[in-house]
Amino acid sequence: MRRVVAHLDLDAFFAAVEVLENPALAGVPLVVGGDPLGRGVVATASYEARAFGIRSAMSSAEAHRRCPSAVVVRPDMARYKRHSEGLWALVRAAVPVVEQVGIDEGYLDLADIAPTAGEARRFLLALQRRIRAETGLGASFGCGTGKTVAKIASDADKPVGLVVVAAGREEEFLAPLPLRALPGIGPKADKRLQVAGLERIGQLADLDDESLRLILPGATGRDLRERARGIDPRPVVAASGPSVTIGNEETFDHDIGDPAILSEHAARMAVGATERMLKEGLVARTVTVKLRYPDFRILSRATSAGQPTGDPTEITRLAELALQRALRDRPPPIRLLGVSVSRLVKGEQLHLPLEDESA
Amino acid sequence: MKIRCNREHLADRLAQAARAASTRANLQSAAHVRLTAESSEAPVELAATDLEMTLRVPLTADVEEPGSVLLPAKIAPELIRALNGETVELSAQDDGRVLVSAGSSSYTLYGLPVDEFPQLPEIDHEQVFETDSAVFADVVGRVKRAASRDESRPVLTGALVRFESDRITMAATDSYRLAVAEAPLSKAPPESIEAIIPVKALEEVVRLAGSDGKPLSVAIGEGLVTFGIDGIWLSVRRIEGQFPNFTALKPDGVEQSATIAKDELLEVVRRVGIVVRQNTPVRVELAPGQLSLQARTADVAEGAESIPVAATGTETIEIGFNHEFLRDGIESVPGDEVKLSLISSLRPALLESVDGAFWYVIMPIRI
Repeated sequence: MRRVVAHLDLDAFFAAVEVLENPALAGVPLVVGGDPLGRGVVATASYEARAFGIRSAMSSAEAHRRCPSAVVVRPDMARYKRHSEGLWALVRAAVPVVEQVGIDEGYLDLADIAPTAGEARRFLLALQRRIRAETGLGASFGCGTGKTVAKIASDADKPVGLVVVAAGREEEFLAPLPLRALPGIGPKADKRLQVAGLERIGQLADLDDESLRLILPGATGRDLRERARGIDPRPVVAASGPSVTIGNEETFDHDIGDPAILSEHAARMAVGATERMLKEGLVARTVTVKLRYPDFRILSRATSAGQPTGDPTEITRLAELALQRALRDRPPPIRLLGVSVSRLVKGEQLHLPLEDESA
Repeated sequence: MKIRCNREHLADRLAQAARAASTRANLQSAAHVRLTAESSEAPVELAATDLEMTLRVPLTADVEEPGSVLLPAKIAPELIRALNGETVELSAQDDGRVLVSAGSSSYTLYGLPVDEFPQLPEIDHEQVFETDSAVFADVVGRVKRAASRDESRPVLTGALVRFESDRITMAATDSYRLAVAEAPLSKAPPESIEAIIPVKALEEVVRLAGSDGKPLSVAIGEGLVTFGIDGIWLSVRRIEGQFPNFTALKPDGVEQSATIAKDELLEVVRRVGIVVRQNTPVRVELAPGQLSLQARTADVAEGAESIPVAATGTETIEIGFNHEFLRDGIESVPGDEVKLSLISSLRPALLESVDGAFWYVIMPIRI
């Protein structure tokens, strides 16, 4: 069956929520982020602020320099979560399979409800209008035969964009775009591609096997070239049903700078996640540690065990390894810590070989 | 139909028969006990069935008019037990109604017409052989907990019962553990015979056998197994299918084993089990000189225990078990000692009695 995948990306979500909560901020250059007098950075800038050249992840001081009149608001995650929940409830009521990948973005499987490019366009346009009418939020949509094209397309015409890439036109759509637009290129791969002089997605798509092996050996290279060609078979997976990940996170009252204290928190949360997982009769292969720094940037690192485990000691050990790797990449202080277990499988309890002893 | 009998006796016998009556709402007719009084000479029979299991219970009574009626299984025993007087009289009215009178009390039970009662299976009395009820009850008690409660795999909800010329063998498994018990018989059938029998029925047989060593009659027919004790007959449908070849599941290549005092081990396992919740495993480590157990539930408690042992091997093996499975296994081992044998942390473990007449395979939890 033909695949129709849409990507929904909310426009300047944090800033949009702040405007909804305080209409006086409408039309004003608005920065959600850290204190311009401190060492904070920009989490989100409204489109008015972007006109001054302010971008996400820029230091707040730099943002202030570019637009001294910009209003700066500290992020309020609970508030954003509330608005996000309303939005996703609306989307889930309209679309049978929804894979939310963050507070403000997710993939929708439209194959059953809008199987052609024309139908997809009409459906998404109506959904976009409903989102605006019912939540007050601006949403951009991209649509194609796979996640990669959909995601890139949703970014192509922001804000309130709607770009539908017809089946068979993926390569043509991707080719002129800069390589950095292609999701999934890590820092290492990025460097190798730059060294090789590749700038456009089309250049990666055109590489023959031999050149690809030299520039990006292994499965990573083959996967990236497939995506550059617009081929991305990853399914849209609804997050309902059995848990995909189990875990929790905590925001600390005061940022924590002491790695030993962070280790203690990580161990406690790892044991808690293990218990919840075992209650569901599951064991995990992967433990992920997520850190949010004072500038709201997020870093996460994962470690995997050789075999699925339900042992709290082992899960704790894996969490500690992941934490150490994250802290090596960027030292504390830390504002928020999360520990989760994933690649969950049932049957930590092994079975007798009753049915087929040769199996 | 009209009978008169001792009130207590009727209440006891009705309650006994009613254990087989159906509790399902869509089987109205099977929610009754059928009372059949054929003549003033033959004993009165009480019968109930849930279509799987059937109980036939004899009743001593004076039959004034032969006939049969259906008594509601739920309220009839309770009502008759609560009445006054030593004697009770039951007499059939029209439309399935039964008048119950004792002393100054008079009640009418609205039973269904007797022809709506399910057809009961015939007992093939030619097949019957006698065996030791105490031995039978003992082996049922050792294997029943290993049987599955998962109705989606019917074969595993039963126990394999095998009679041979000089012994009985029973096996049950829920795929996580397997229990096999064997015992010598002084009385057995002329030929070897086996059947998969629902554990629920086996438990009922044990209940009927009581503890006074009455002989147990058994008939294993094509689709039906029947047990008789003291004039009471219990018939149950055999479970169709192939029971796993359990002898092939006995672990071999044991790397480390130890024989441990059962009471001491059980005490430790029960204690460490207090801190276990749900599926948290009990970690067992068998080293040359010591058996250690450890359990931990996050945010609740953790604990560790150890017992000095003289293990046979030089290795130290660590393995995780479901607490309930481990405890069941140890409790089921007859005698004062338990032999624990391990191969590796991911291979089946073996608990057995020193004489080998009982063995219990337990699959580990991956830790």
